[in-house]
Amino acid sequence: MNSLKGQIVAIDSNNHMSLVDVAVGQDVFTATLLETPATADYLQVGSEVTLLFKETEIALAKNLSGMISLRNRIPVVVKNVVRGDILSAVTLDYAGKRLVSVITSRAIDRLEIKPGDPLEALIKANEIALMAGHDDL
Amino acid sequence: MIKAQINKRLIGANGSFELDVELQIAKGEFVALYGPSGVGKTTLLRCLAGLEQADQANIKFNGNTWVDTRLRINLEPQLRRVGYMFQDYALFPNMTVRGNVEFALRKGSSTHRINELIELMNLGELQHQKPETLSGGQKQRVALARALASEPSLLLLDEPFSALDTEMRSRLHNEVLRLQRSLGITTIIVSHDVSEVYKLAKRVFVMEAGRIAQHGTPADVFSAGQTSGKFRFTGEILALEPMDVLYSLTVLVGNQIVRVVAMPEEALKLSVGDAVMLVSKAFNPMILKLE
Repeated sequence: MNSLKGQIVAIDSNNHMSLVDVAVGQDVFTATLLETPATADYLQVGSEVTLLFKETEIALAKNLSGMISLRNRIPVVVKNVVRGDILSAVTLDYAGKRLVSVITSRAIDRLEIKPGDPLEALIKANEIALMAGHDDL
Repeated sequence: MIKAQINKRLIGANGSFELDVELQIAKGEFVALYGPSGVGKTTLLRCLAGLEQADQANIKFNGNTWVDTRLRINLEPQLRRVGYMFQDYALFPNMTVRGNVEFALRKGSSTHRINELIELMNLGELQHQKPETLSGGQKQRVALARALASEPSLLLLDEPFSALDTEMRSRLHNEVLRLQRSLGITTIIVSHDVSEVYKLAKRVFVMEAGRIAQHGTPADVFSAGQTSGKFRFTGEILALEPMDVLYSLTVLVGNQIVRVVAMPEEALKLSVGDAVMLVSKAFNPMILKLE
C-alpha cells in the first residue's frame, strides 16, 4: 500500500460525503470520502492524516496533454521497474518519497518506461483512503 | 450489572505477574476478553465464578456483594448462579448427555427445563449417550446446555469454540447469540479469535500481562488505525502465493473464501493463520442483486 503523510487544508461536504484536500509538500491531493466532519472526528482542517492508496490504483502518463477529470496528478521519476509476465511494478520517486505503481507490462512497453524517466502519476480521488494521524502502518 | 476489581499474583511462563483488573459490565451485555495465552483471562473468569480466590477483590453483581476480601465475604459458587463453559468441556464421562445437563439443574427446578434445553440444543437423539461417543461439536452443545441448566444470571464461556471446525463454530456462534439475546444473560467470552469477538461481543477488553490494555467496541479496538475505508472485514489468512510481481492472498472472511492481491513487502509480513483486516473504499464494491 502506498502511503503519504499530509495535512488537511480544505473540506467540502454535504450530508453524506466530503471532498477532502490534503497538502503533501508542494502538492494538494483530493480524496472523496463517504464521511463528514460530523461522523469522523479527524476530518478537521489542520489535522494530520495519512493518504493510503493501493499500488494498482496509480496510473502513469508520459507527456500527457489535454483535459482530464482526474484530480490527483503528481510529478514522479522512475527508479526501478520489476517486470512480470502480465503486470509490472514500477518504483517511483515522488519528491524523495517512494511510491509503487503496478501497471501492465504491455503499458511499460508502449510507454517505453525505464529508470530515470520523468512521468506523471495519476490517482482517482475515490481511490484514496485517509487514516487519522501520521503513524506508520 | 457486574462491578469487579480483582488482584492476584500469578505465575506465568516468564515469571510471576500481577492480575490487576477493574471492569464493569452492564446487565445483558455480551463482552469478550481477548489476548494471548497466559495473561490471566481464565483466572479472571474463575475468580468471577468463585472457583478461585483472589488475593484482593471486590465483586458486586446486581448490587449484591459476591466477594469483598477486606470484609472476608466470599459467596459460594453455587449461590452465584454462574453458568460456566470450560475450554475442555469437562463433561462427566460416566453420565449420559441428559445426566450431565440434569446435574447442573438447581434444586427445585422442574425436569421440564431439561427437556427444553435438550430440545433447544438439538440433543434429543443423543440424550441417552455417554460423552465419549459424541463429536467435538456435540460435546460443546452439551456443555452449553449444562451451563444454561442452572438458569444462570451470568454466563462465562472460556474459549468454548476453539477446538471446532469453521462451520460448526459458526453454527454455535449463531446459537449462542440467539440464546444470549432471547434470555438476556450477561455473558463473558474468552477468545483469541478476532472474527469470533467481532461476531459475538458488543465490547472487548484486550488483556496483556494481567492488565486490561484497551477496551471498546471490536471495530474500535481492532481497526488498524482510524481509516476512512467503509468496506471492512476481518479474516484469517489461509494461503499466500507469489503471482507475477504481486502476491495472491486467500482469506477466510466469515465462511466465505476471498482472494485479494498484495505487494510482496506486505505479503512477507504475513503468515498463514494471521488475522487481517481487509479495507476498501465504499466506492469500490460492485453490487449484484441476488434472486
